[in-house]
Formats: sequence, C-alpha cells, structure tokens
Amino acid sequence: MSRRAVDAVFQGLFTLTDIRVVLRRTAPLHELSEDDRKAVLKSLADLRQQIGILEEELLR
Amino acid sequence: MRCTGDIEVRDLEEVAINIDPIQAGGRLTADAMKAIIAYGDGYSVCDNCRKPFRLDHIKKPPLDAFHRDLARFVGMDEARVMPGARRGFQAVADTYVEKGAPVLLTALSHYTEFLAIEAAGGIPREIPKDAKNIITADSAASRIEEVTREFGRPPALLFIDHFDYQFGNEHQVREIARAARAYDVKVMYNGAYTVGILPVDGKELGVDFVVGSGHKSMASPAPSGLLATTKEHAQEIFRTTRAKGDLTGREFGVKEVELLGCTLMGATIMGMMASFPYVRERVNRWQEELANGRIVVDALRSIEGTTILSEYPRKHTLTRVDTRNSFDRVAETHKKRGYFFTSALLEKGIGGVIPGATRVWKFNTYGLTRQQAEYLASVFTGIARENGIPVT
Repeated sequence: MSRRAVDAVFQGLFTLTDIRVVLRRTAPLHELSEDDRKAVLKSLADLRQQIGILEEELLR
Repeated sequence: MRCTGDIEVRDLEEVAINIDPIQAGGRLTADAMKAIIAYGDGYSVCDNCRKPFRLDHIKKPPLDAFHRDLARFVGMDEARVMPGARRGFQAVADTYVEKGAPVLLTALSHYTEFLAIEAAGGIPREIPKDAKNIITADSAASRIEEVTREFGRPPALLFIDHFDYQFGNEHQVREIARAARAYDVKVMYNGAYTVGILPVDGKELGVDFVVGSGHKSMASPAPSGLLATTKEHAQEIFRTTRAKGDLTGREFGVKEVELLGCTLMGATIMGMMASFPYVRERVNRWQEELANGRIVVDALRSIEGTTILSEYPRKHTLTRVDTRNSFDRVAETHKKRGYFFTSALLEKGIGGVIPGATRVWKFNTYGLTRQQAEYLASVFTGIARENGIPVT
C-alpha cells in the first residue's frame, strides 16, 4: 500500500476543486482578482507537488 | 466534454452565472465537493456504524453531532436529515393526518405539500392569497373557522411556506402560527427557501415542525433536507418501530418508522455536513444577498415595460418578473422569436432562464458576488438597449 499515493490523489482532487470554485465565483468572464491569482498559483504549486508524489510512488 | 459514455459534463456553474430560481441555494461549497469525492460510494458513512445502528448515532464521521447542530440551527429540539423537504412533509402528514381529515395549506403552496396530504388520505383546503399575493393571518384564521364548520373538526395541520416558490414573497408565518395555536392546529413550516439562506428559529416563530431543503437552500446534493421539531412532537414523528416478524420473531431496534430507518447514507449527508459550517455563517449575510438582488431588480425595473410581479421592495432573492411589454415585444418580430432573449443571455454567460421565456419568468440571484450581480444587471439592460427598448 502506498499511503502517500492515496493521499496525493485526494489532495490533488481537492486542490483542483479549489480551482473549480474560483472558476465558478468568477464566471462567466473569469477575470481573476489579485487574491484569486495568488490562490490559483498556490493551488497549482500544490498540484505539481501531488503529481510529483504520484510519480515517485507509482512509477518508481 | 463528457464524464463518460453519453454523460456530458455539467459545467453550467463554471461557464455562466446561473440564475435558475430553484438551483441558486443548492450550489455546492468546495468542501461539499471534496466530501463527495471521498464519500461517493454507496453506504459510505456506514463504515463505523455501531449499535444502535442508526444514522443519527454514527460518531465517525460525526453525524450524531451534525444532527444536534441542525436542530439548534433552526431553533428546535430534534432534527433528522431527510431525502428532500417533500419527505419531511410526508413524514409530518403521515403522522398527524387521518383519512378524511382536513389539512390547510395555501394558494401558493408547493405541489409536494398537496401530494403529502393526499398520500396520508387527508383533504387539502387552501388559504387564499390576497391581492398582493401574500398569505395573511386573518385569512388563515377565517379559513380555519370555515374548514372547522365544513368538517366538524379543526384542520389536522396547517402548512405554511415562509417564502413561496412562485413569487418569493414573504408570508405572515409568525402571525399565522399564533392564529393556528388559538385553534389548536399544528403548524408545519416549509423553509425550502429559507433554511440555509436566512436565519430561521422555529420556536421563536411558534411553529411545530420545520422542514428545510438541502439541495434547494443548504448548498447540498439532492435529495437532501431536514425535518426538525420540538421534544414533545419528536416522540410522535420520530417514533421507533414496533414491528415484529410473525415467523421469525425479528424486531428492528430503534429504526424510525417515518424515516424508514436511515435516510441519507452517503454522499448526500456528507455534502450537507461539509457545507454546514459555511451555511451556518452565510445566513447572517442575508442583507448582502438582498442588496445584490436589488441591483438586478432595479436594472430590470429600469427597462421600459418591465414589471416586477413579486412584492417590492424585495425581501427574497427569488423574483418573478413580467417582460410581456418589453422583451416579449421584441420576440414578436425577432428572427429567433421567443428564443432571442435566452440566446442573448447565454451568449453573455447567463444561464438558468427557461429557453424561450420572454413573458413571465423567475430568477434567483442568491450566491452571486457583487461583481456578478452588477454584470448580470448590465447584461439585462444591454440586451434591452441592443433591441431598441428604452432604459431609464
């Protein structure tokens, strides 16, 4: 069992959900405020980290 | 884009401002979406169900505490989650309405209230609305007396919607409850458009039962809702089974008859519970929601020939509007006919209005940000101007 991989899948999905909510809150123009941009940047960094964990855990 | 096979992705909320009158308050929070990701499997909340084997006793996830929180949230003593408000109506009607008994509801009641009464064998009698589409306490008291004369007994129940689904108008709940008490008639408060949207305190209102809708007003998946009541009535409506198998001798513990045992056993209750902390807070921001709604309503009123059919000033974000003398006039000669309006709205990223609607229609601004409300207002006036309708 890879606890890290399981956690990374959920964390990645949760992070994508946060981005989804930004899309909803800013629909239909999706013009992001500075705070929104910061939040999305943070989410994308987290997402990359989760993908890295999945690569390490599942493709080694 | 598709989820799989023939199932298209539903991305209305991501690509547009959705003003569908029944969908606004049920839009999920991020936390609800996350809970659904984790708890989508069937009986997912039952992993740690232990004696006495009932949903409202499960401690992990903390459904027991959630039930207590729900009761407090609506100012009552006990609450249960239900598969939609309609199942709450049904449980109340099944418990208190005998075959042939009269039950009062109103000229603006939701059809599911009629069906709940019918299923219980009751006879529905309506309280009329006044000229302003309001249900008043005087009217309710008169109807109680009329029905009592007609049936030789008072109504078994009185159903009252705090805000109705047709106009989003506020009705005299507190005064009606007081009048009903004077005649010893139990009051069933339909909070489908209030619980989870604005503060509701059942005891303070003087009602016997509070029903709310999770998917309509509590940022929850369908079907979900709640039924709450006082200690006194909880004994009756949440009564436990006495059934026993005649061959096997089996008994069924603390399962509640009106709920058919457990109700929401997976994604629905988890979505509801995950949204709850947010929902509990958001009811305190009702005035901001009304202010956003006013921006849109005022924009519509500025379009010549447009009339707000709901009470005005607005007390709810759900509004009924008459555009027969504005957008419907354009539809008469437009090449897209009646579809020009919803087509123009969609082009500008506004969804949720019934395709082809140009006469009398409803919308709901609940949950929009200020920027979205201002954008929506500008879209309505913009479409009017583009089509030669004066805007003042």
